[in-house]
Amino acid sequence: MNKKKLSIFAGAALLVVFGAATAAPFEIKDLIRDLISIPSVLGNEEALAAKILSYLPKDITEKDNLGSLFARFGTGEPKIAVLTPLDEYGWFVSGITPDGYLRLDRSGQPHPNFDNYLLGHPVVISTKKGLLYGVVSQPAMHLLTRERREELRNFSLDMAYVDIGVRSEEEAKNKGIEFLDPVTLWPDLSVLANDKWAGPSLGQKAACALVLSLAEDLGKAKLSQEIVLSWMAQTKFSARAGGARSSLGAIRVRRTLQPKRVIIVDVVPADRGEKSPAFGKGPVLILPKEGGLKLKEAVEAIAAENQISLQSQTGAESALLNAFAGEEALTLALPVKFAQTPSEVVDLKDVQSLKTIILQLLQSGRVK
Amino acid sequence: MRKLLLSSLAFAIVLNFAASSPQNGQPASGWDLLRKIVLIPGLSSQEGKVMDFIQSTLPSSLKVQRDAKANVWFTVGEGKPHILFVAHSDELGYTVDKITPQGTAILRARGGLLAQTCEARPFVIHTAKGPVEGIIQPKPDYYLSQTALDRAGAQTAAQNPPQSQPSPARVPAQKPLPSPAQKPVPAQAQTPPQGQIQARTAAPAAAEAFEVYLGVSSEQEARALGVAEGDQVLIKKKIVDLAPDIMSTRAVDDRAGCAALLAAALRIDWSKIKTKTVTFAWDVEEEIGLNGAQALAKILKPDYVFAVDTFVSTDSPLESKRFGYAVLGRGAVLRSIDTSNVTPKTEIQKVAKIAEARKIPIQIRNSRGGNDGSVFVADGAVDIPLSWPGAYAHSFIEKIVKSDLEALTNLIAAIVEEWK
Repeated sequence: MNKKKLSIFAGAALLVVFGAATAAPFEIKDLIRDLISIPSVLGNEEALAAKILSYLPKDITEKDNLGSLFARFGTGEPKIAVLTPLDEYGWFVSGITPDGYLRLDRSGQPHPNFDNYLLGHPVVISTKKGLLYGVVSQPAMHLLTRERREELRNFSLDMAYVDIGVRSEEEAKNKGIEFLDPVTLWPDLSVLANDKWAGPSLGQKAACALVLSLAEDLGKAKLSQEIVLSWMAQTKFSARAGGARSSLGAIRVRRTLQPKRVIIVDVVPADRGEKSPAFGKGPVLILPKEGGLKLKEAVEAIAAENQISLQSQTGAESALLNAFAGEEALTLALPVKFAQTPSEVVDLKDVQSLKTIILQLLQSGRVK
Repeated sequence: MRKLLLSSLAFAIVLNFAASSPQNGQPASGWDLLRKIVLIPGLSSQEGKVMDFIQSTLPSSLKVQRDAKANVWFTVGEGKPHILFVAHSDELGYTVDKITPQGTAILRARGGLLAQTCEARPFVIHTAKGPVEGIIQPKPDYYLSQTALDRAGAQTAAQNPPQSQPSPARVPAQKPLPSPAQKPVPAQAQTPPQGQIQARTAAPAAAEAFEVYLGVSSEQEARALGVAEGDQVLIKKKIVDLAPDIMSTRAVDDRAGCAALLAAALRIDWSKIKTKTVTFAWDVEEEIGLNGAQALAKILKPDYVFAVDTFVSTDSPLESKRFGYAVLGRGAVLRSIDTSNVTPKTEIQKVAKIAEARKIPIQIRNSRGGNDGSVFVADGAVDIPLSWPGAYAHSFIEKIVKSDLEALTNLIAAIVEEWK
């Protein structure tokens, strides 16, 4: 074995030993770091689902055929569900050019300028052979005419070509590329000051980590009612049913679980004007147009007891909440700065605050 | 347990050092050097750490010099001709212009990056206290469509009608836009089909309007992190391996040139260079006006200068192949005509002959961009730029192929040994 390989082996052995000696398995920061690097594009959530499942005992978990995960704790009524979206916005391979560049398309409708962030940056393609890396081609600056620069300002998927370092469609396929492979932004996690982190889809990944972190405590607790944690797939599609726009993934979970009390853990864009929550002022309690008042009372009481500052919104349009119309439901949301950009900013204090509120809500039996 | 951990750590460190040192007496390759040097922060006029790396890599027997601007060079041999190889160590980025009362850092551009690719991206401020991560803030209305912006603009205009018309003398002259008859409007720019939201067409923010969010909320907190005016601000760099021998990252221009020159310097048997004078130089501030080269031109008077810098290749799906089409993976490039220089055909043929004799693949092409060698031409030097084919020049994803860098390194060594 040469020196380089031996060095890598020694380093890996060291990491394993250190890892076993020091890591708490459900520490939220570690969970977020673990989950952010795993793509979960709408309709392609299986890799993230598998990672979450790996943290949970097999006998309490199940999956449905949409890809949603469930982890059940305790027995008794009324059943409480703590739900969070599993899916993120992203793209998928919609074509391969004869000279090996990938073309992209997207499901779901984030903000209109979402695709602009692709230009001149790396992406990750989830293939059957594992994760592959590519870059979205950008014209050389030295060659940009004024006209071309104007065109680039309207960058769209029509101009997006992903370079994976091959020269033909055959080479691309030999690397493992297939049509419909999901494509996401490079999972760059930035650590800012004062416990603020930034990264692509960080809000959604932090919410998934938060719900996952509840599992360890719930597994040890004596519970007087059934609690189901769920990571919902395909929430960014609308269910095609009459009435207000509802999330497909959420509607499906409602029909599967039929919970009586629903806490949705979600993200909400912050700092977008007067009606928008502020970043840095605490998590956000979002009520539907009707209902949710009992839960609201309990949440506010726990927040006050723990001196957690809570922002609130009532009647906000929410496809997730609409799916549970008529039930006792509300959303507890992480305010996110620069939402749906490559650098969503989350305040880890908000994540911890929400965990405190939800755990005490579940363990206290106040939600009857 | 603690002793075991510490022993393992020490073992891994020693082995890792051994692994990165030359193996079996072989000097480090240009590729390995590039993977290290490309990550070192070195904005134009703040290249010190890059030069430290270069100096520490060169053997002390080469008597390396360094001037007040941080240009680094060594000279071997004597007599004519005097041949100079020069690569630039600086890269594009920003500096902190000022810190706001809200604790964000306002930036000033150094060199030409495409501003729209910087928005909502992680950047690193290299402070005296160490690196500080931040995010270049997107525009406040980044999530709005052009339709929504137009509607908001119309509402604002209706609420605030102009009080008076400006006098014609105060209206700045406008360059006319292309006539619609000359430029057919592409389909996607027309009214979108029902249900589709049109992406914005407004111009992205100019570099001078960039603000970096640091996670703090006051100027005092920002300064406590170490952030100060003048600090260099660079994209958070990462090397994207498209394949084992193809990488994409920021600052390949011109760290690849630096690496090729370094690798050649480590490879050449300098004791055999006696009947000519050879200078290898790594200079500064190329991106902001060839300033380092101009300083060197006052003291070095070569007969030939080989500027080792990017060849802006059009080997990419978004470029016309009309010129600049040097294919990545097909060898080094003689950058024979660019924006600052035309290399004489006789010299092109000399280089081509040397390359052919040593079976070094080369491509002879023209492209755009200036080069440091052009500064020496006024004093009588012939400028013969040498390159590798680089796609996506001056972006965050500059792409290079290992075999091209190897060919360039071999070509440099061959010219040193054979040039007459």
